Amino acid sequence: MEKGTFQDVNAQVVERCKAGDNRAQYELYKLYSKAMFNVSMRITNDYAESEDVLQEAFISAFKNLHSYKAEASFGSWLKRIVINASVNAVRKRRSELVPLEDRLAEDVPEEEYDDNTEWQVEQVRRAIQRLPDGYRVVLSLYLLEGLDHAEIGEVLEISESTSKSQYSRARKKLLEIMKDTHSMA
Amino acid sequence: MKDRLKDFVNENREEFDVFEPRPELWQEICTELKIQQAQEKKPRKEAKVISINFGERLNFTADFMFMRVAATIVLLLACGITLWTVKQNNPAATNTTNTLAANTGTGEQESIYQVAPELAEVEVYYTSQINSKREELSEYDLKVLGLDETREIDRELARLDSSYTRLKNQLYTTPNTDQVMAAMIRNLQIRIEVLNHQLEVLQKIEAIKEQDTTEPQNNETTTI
Repeated sequence: MEKGTFQDVNAQVVERCKAGDNRAQYELYKLYSKAMFNVSMRITNDYAESEDVLQEAFISAFKNLHSYKAEASFGSWLKRIVINASVNAVRKRRSELVPLEDRLAEDVPEEEYDDNTEWQVEQVRRAIQRLPDGYRVVLSLYLLEGLDHAEIGEVLEISESTSKSQYSRARKKLLEIMKDTHSMA
Repeated sequence: MKDRLKDFVNENREEFDVFEPRPELWQEICTELKIQQAQEKKPRKEAKVISINFGERLNFTADFMFMRVAATIVLLLACGITLWTVKQNNPAATNTTNTLAANTGTGEQESIYQVAPELAEVEVYYTSQINSKREELSEYDLKVLGLDETREIDRELARLDSSYTRLKNQLYTTPNTDQVMAAMIRNLQIRIEVLNHQLEVLQKIEAIKEQDTTEPQNNETTTI
């Protein structure tokens, strides 16, 4: 319900942005900059790089606003731009996002750490930050950005099954990290 | 398969967004936007006109290609039209006036009257003179008059004609067109003189013949 009213407000603002209204642009920036910055932070894991991505993404969004059709919400359209820009930024500093040996789609045995330990958001978040690039990107896209494995495959130019197996490994690694820090604490 | 981690993240989604960009970042985006807008103002204007024809995604590349192709077509058309009109104008001016040119070949017609524009007028004048003289000549039945001389005159006229062609060709290369033109006019005048002379000769012969025909008649009457 809340989303419906939100989109209506956006549609008007987006129209004003198309006309080059600077205040409307700021409204959209205020509305989305924080969420988009965090999306980029999770993928690049670098503050300065995320700022670059955010700047680049907003400028390209305002420039190409005419190609935005209202079929998706403005937020998800912008998010796609941010995700692509972030992935490109990671690619630039590192040629392979998903190492070749990890591309083989194999089933990772499901070891559920069902020890019912209570997770803290901060603990999970920090553990994600400590994951290697390839794992962190797939896990973030799946867990936090809500992309399915087919979409992740498209963004990262890998197969859907590779995305699945990569996620399983990342998830396993994440739980290990959390267990370690938990036992350390 | 139930993913406890996914559920946990979904429940606490908002709390995962802990970072904030520097507040100055918006200002930086604004300046960058203004710079880019200023840079794009000029091409944008052109692009707007054409974007009607192309899909919006194709806009930019299509516009550039379109402008290039359009410019090429316009250039080619302009060249074609210019050449065509030049070709149309020149033979129209020369073909009607020039009868001598038939002797000199058609290829050179186009530019010879640009080199010496007064030539067309001169040729028309003299050609009409020469033609009328020739007509006068043809009225005489040369064979009856017993004149084989005509061949010699024809040869003389042919010689004059070939030297005329030579002079005409010189017009292209000689800077002093006046001299060549004078020679050409002289050439035409000589033709008329030759024809005049022939006419005179014929007239004289005819006069003698008339005398001849009247004299035998007298003789006959006297002998009878």
